[in-house]
Amino acid sequence: MGPLLLRRLLTALPTLAAVIILSFLLMRVAPGGPFDGERALDPATRAALMHAYGLDLPLPEQIGRYLWRLLHGDFGPSLVYRDFTVTDLVAQGLPVSLRLGGFALLLALILGIAMGLFAAARAGGRTDHALMLGATLLTALPTFVTGPVLVLLLGLWAGWLPVSGWGDGDPAHLALPVLALALPVAGAIAKLSRAGLATALGQDHVRTARARGLGPVTVLLRHALRPALVPVASYVGPAAAGLLTGAVVIETLFALPGLGRYFVQGALNRDYPLVLGVVILYAGLIILFNLIADLLYGWLDPRMRG
Amino acid sequence: MKLPLAIIGAILLAALIGPALLPWSHDAIDWGAIRAAPLSPGHLLGTDSVGRDLLARTLVGTRVTLAVAVAAALVALLIGVAWGATAGWVGGRVDEAMMRVVDALYALPFMFVVILLMVLFGRSILLVFIGIGVVEWLTMARVVRGQLMALKERPFVLAAEAAGARPFAIVARHLLPNVAGVAIAYLLLTVPQVVMIESFLSFLGLGVQEPLTSLGILVKEGADDMDVAAHALLLPGGVLVTILICLTIAGERLRDRFS
Repeated sequence: MGPLLLRRLLTALPTLAAVIILSFLLMRVAPGGPFDGERALDPATRAALMHAYGLDLPLPEQIGRYLWRLLHGDFGPSLVYRDFTVTDLVAQGLPVSLRLGGFALLLALILGIAMGLFAAARAGGRTDHALMLGATLLTALPTFVTGPVLVLLLGLWAGWLPVSGWGDGDPAHLALPVLALALPVAGAIAKLSRAGLATALGQDHVRTARARGLGPVTVLLRHALRPALVPVASYVGPAAAGLLTGAVVIETLFALPGLGRYFVQGALNRDYPLVLGVVILYAGLIILFNLIADLLYGWLDPRMRG
Repeated sequence: MKLPLAIIGAILLAALIGPALLPWSHDAIDWGAIRAAPLSPGHLLGTDSVGRDLLARTLVGTRVTLAVAVAAALVALLIGVAWGATAGWVGGRVDEAMMRVVDALYALPFMFVVILLMVLFGRSILLVFIGIGVVEWLTMARVVRGQLMALKERPFVLAAEAAGARPFAIVARHLLPNVAGVAIAYLLLTVPQVVMIESFLSFLGLGVQEPLTSLGILVKEGADDMDVAAHALLLPGGVLVTILICLTIAGERLRDRFS
């Protein structure tokens, strides 16, 4: 376990560094700057602003300074939200996004694995085909369509759930965003767990369990499920990336004060430090989730511990 | 597989010739009919919040979305096949280095990289599809490389080599035609991916820009207006979902046939 984790970390850190440096360079070569407003600034003001934000220094020095501050948890000042640093904004947005994404991942796992179990229990039958078609449909549905449609159906027409806002983390306010975010991931997990179960059910230890006279439900849950979850675990990394991407839309749509909304606002406003900070944070989270997936691997399948 | 492809064909045909047959262009405003309901006179599917014909807008939006998707998927196909074929044919260290690049790019939060590009270099439709094409070629490269590795040990390749064919000719004339089926399956699966990304970007206001329209923009406009005019969301949303589902199903069936 140790060496594997170390090896993964050794590939992950250069990737993260490359993301940071590349994004930083891209920002600097891009035409147009944060001070290009509707009114042209007079040259002296402009120069003063450039100097105040350190934009007049040579590039390597700018990158060096940025990395150094990053190591101290300082993402620099926001260029648009003048009274806030990017660190402030991220600190406000991250808990909201983590809560949204965490619940969505949980719901997707429960829903997806349940679909996989039912399909595998009826392998080859109608239930199996219907569930797997359903899973394909779920993965093909984009969150920015399911989100508004769910709001329309459950919020506006049925009037069961609030349609937007955070409500200080009130569960009812979270229900629709979490559901919309979880559905495509649930579809992918359903397919993976169905495939994993099909493989596991053909293995020797499962045959032994059956030969000992255990019922189909016990065999499925106690003997086949754990090895079948290995492909699901490997999907946790990409799933986290998918959830983060989906969260950008969901947060915008439901007016939730999460990271994704700051990212979109930053992108529309050309708030470079904010966009850069969020991209780095997202890259870090995705790398973290890939590491977690590796750990899960070893836990689910002892043969992979080495 | 036939039904999904037939549906896609019908949508494509409607998007191509439909707008020419309608009295309204996608950005013409009918001041006398703002937020008209579906089936109202002159506007078969109603109008949006500023009186633009929804049928015309949906058809033009579909056309733009599909055009971007096909163009970007072709960019992905070209890069992916070239990259994968080179790595698979040359093998050894070159192969390892090239595949490392692919692995590293896979690890990137690519949607955010695309958004970063949009933010930095202006929101143009050209950049939308270059940006998407550049990140969507990775899977294609892996698949083509895997196929090529498997094929290049086969007798017909050895025969071609023995007959004195040049490496480039072997790859182009003997190997790539054998990879074409799988590549087409993955091309079919890349198109919905691209449709999804383009609509996602446009939904956020970072993709296709007004006065041009796309399904993503229409879904966004519909979502903003759905409390008074649900059809403005359901119509473009329905077309988008139909396209995505049909392409995904057709692509998956084709892929399963080859694997």
